[in-house]
Amino acid sequence: MERFTKFLRQRAASTFLVFVGLVIIFSLFSPRHVFINARNIAALGKLFPDLGVVALGVGMLMICGEFDLSVASVLPFCAYIFARSLYVGIAPVWGMVLAILVGCGLGWINGFLTVKTRMPSFITTLGTLMFWRGILYVWSQMMPLGIRQYIPTGSSFEKVFAGTIVGFFPVQSLWFALFAVVLGVLLHYHRFGNWVYATGDNRDAARAMGINTDWVKTLCFVIVGALCGFVACMQSVRIGSFAATQGIGMELRSIAACVVGGTSLRGGVGSMSGVTLGALTIPILDNGLILLRVPVFGITAFIGLATILFVVLNTYVERRFR
Amino acid sequence: MKRAWIVVLVISLLVFSASWVVAQEAKPAEGMYFRLVTHGGDDPFWAVVQKGANDAAKELGCRVDIDLCGGDLALQQKRFQEAVALKPQGIALVINDDTAWDKPVEDALAQGIPVIGMNNDDSQGAAGNARLCYIGQSEKAAAYRLARKLFDTAKAKGIDLSKAHVAMAAEVPGANYAKIRSSGVIEAMGEYGITSYEIIDAGGLEMTTVEARETSYLLAHPETTFLIGLGGICTDRLTASLKAAGRNPGEVIAGGFDTTPDTLNGIREGYITATIDQQQYLQGYFAVYVLYLYNKYGFTPNIDTGGYLVDSPDKIALIEKLSPLHVR
Repeated sequence: MERFTKFLRQRAASTFLVFVGLVIIFSLFSPRHVFINARNIAALGKLFPDLGVVALGVGMLMICGEFDLSVASVLPFCAYIFARSLYVGIAPVWGMVLAILVGCGLGWINGFLTVKTRMPSFITTLGTLMFWRGILYVWSQMMPLGIRQYIPTGSSFEKVFAGTIVGFFPVQSLWFALFAVVLGVLLHYHRFGNWVYATGDNRDAARAMGINTDWVKTLCFVIVGALCGFVACMQSVRIGSFAATQGIGMELRSIAACVVGGTSLRGGVGSMSGVTLGALTIPILDNGLILLRVPVFGITAFIGLATILFVVLNTYVERRFR
Repeated sequence: MKRAWIVVLVISLLVFSASWVVAQEAKPAEGMYFRLVTHGGDDPFWAVVQKGANDAAKELGCRVDIDLCGGDLALQQKRFQEAVALKPQGIALVINDDTAWDKPVEDALAQGIPVIGMNNDDSQGAAGNARLCYIGQSEKAAAYRLARKLFDTAKAKGIDLSKAHVAMAAEVPGANYAKIRSSGVIEAMGEYGITSYEIIDAGGLEMTTVEARETSYLLAHPETTFLIGLGGICTDRLTASLKAAGRNPGEVIAGGFDTTPDTLNGIREGYITATIDQQQYLQGYFAVYVLYLYNKYGFTPNIDTGGYLVDSPDKIALIEKLSPLHVR
């Protein structure tokens, strides 16, 4: 019992329990146990990292006490840079580097605006969300750009970012795992992580301790931008084109994933394992409910309800056991 | 010699000036201003509409602006009121709601501003809204035509249609386009004796969400015989979803709307049987021409711009040739 109580003291414990519960329910009750069918797992593994990788960065930023709503525009913007670079003859690898650098740049602008103007990041990134999408519409004229002619199916670049391992396991999941581990180590085992928690928990106290909180926040924004750039390329390679609709709605879903994973909206609280679980739980809930043949019209309502219930559960467990 | 050059120069200038004057005089809608108030925004569809409107304005010598409201009805109504306040010579309006546009259109007409419908009409047509005429694809007819093509394909394969199940994926299930297109499919289903169907909420405009929902649905519903994307994004993701669900080309008979790169690839690979090209360039182009002709002669023609069925390599080649020019 003591061990269980100790386990529940972990921030992401309740999310983990619900996650395991959902997996068991969906595995047992989906028709023909299709939830644990190899194809379903492969489809989930291929698709959830798009949101998941972005959510990892957004989670770190939220722990730092800030939001980034602009991810929904930075992502398609970087995707357009990537596609355009291919059209002007740049090799895919360098196109990807360029897209990630642009993502870093856009993240830095968010950070700079937030720390220099002292505006809430909710406002600055809401502004850049609309600004970059507007610029993208004008620049791209909203026309899709096919990139299969530059990155054919079966090419090594396609295999690295949208292929499978042993003919089954989607490589996107490995990228997600890699980012989760790297950011987890950074957040929990590196002094930068301490600075992130300190900045998010009490900025004034962190500054008094000698932490350059402006720099920490800006770097977190840059990390989110870089991850958006990476996902933009990975997603474009998978869908074989740039589409102006890439990333739509991601700003709120990434925050929802972090909240489900136990990240506090007020900063200073959260973990990379929690964000990882949150990023897994929302797609699994969506997938599992459809597999249970819940009318697809009602799925969105279930997701909304589940998000609220997760927060209520986290709050209850926090009060009861911590 | 110098004098001859001066004469040549003067004659050239005169000829150039005369032709410029003639060219200017040839622009019949000089000084007119039209406005297109649409619910569009996030997709290439509207870039093509805009190109059509701009090309027509260039030919006629008038000015035209297009409002893209991203599906926000309240914003679109605000833009419409602003357009009325500008007192243009005409407004082309996307009538994407059966009641919200009744009074604004009546008020604008009462102020002497011609309003025509484009792209999306009141489901009751002229009986439901006072707009002067409608230019656009007959959504229901296009969906009906697509569905018949898919059902005929199934019939040719010997599939028992009385046991068939039709799944229709919509990005925004409550939107007019989804309601009207699905009604066209359902009408065709009745003729082929198909009774089982479901409309899927594909979760919005984000491609990964759409793909995830379509894939999950296919895995959960192995009985799915037909999968129809009611919008361009749902259609774009059909091929990837069918592959992810382990379906072979033609195993599920799929089709939809619009001509994105992956939709055309899907037709090439045999996963998609047919898609409808709305020929939306014509919607922007004819909207400007009809407003001009209404001002000049009082014409109010209803023009059906769509449903070009893309189902063969030569049609794909045509689309791919014109797509970079923003015409198809």
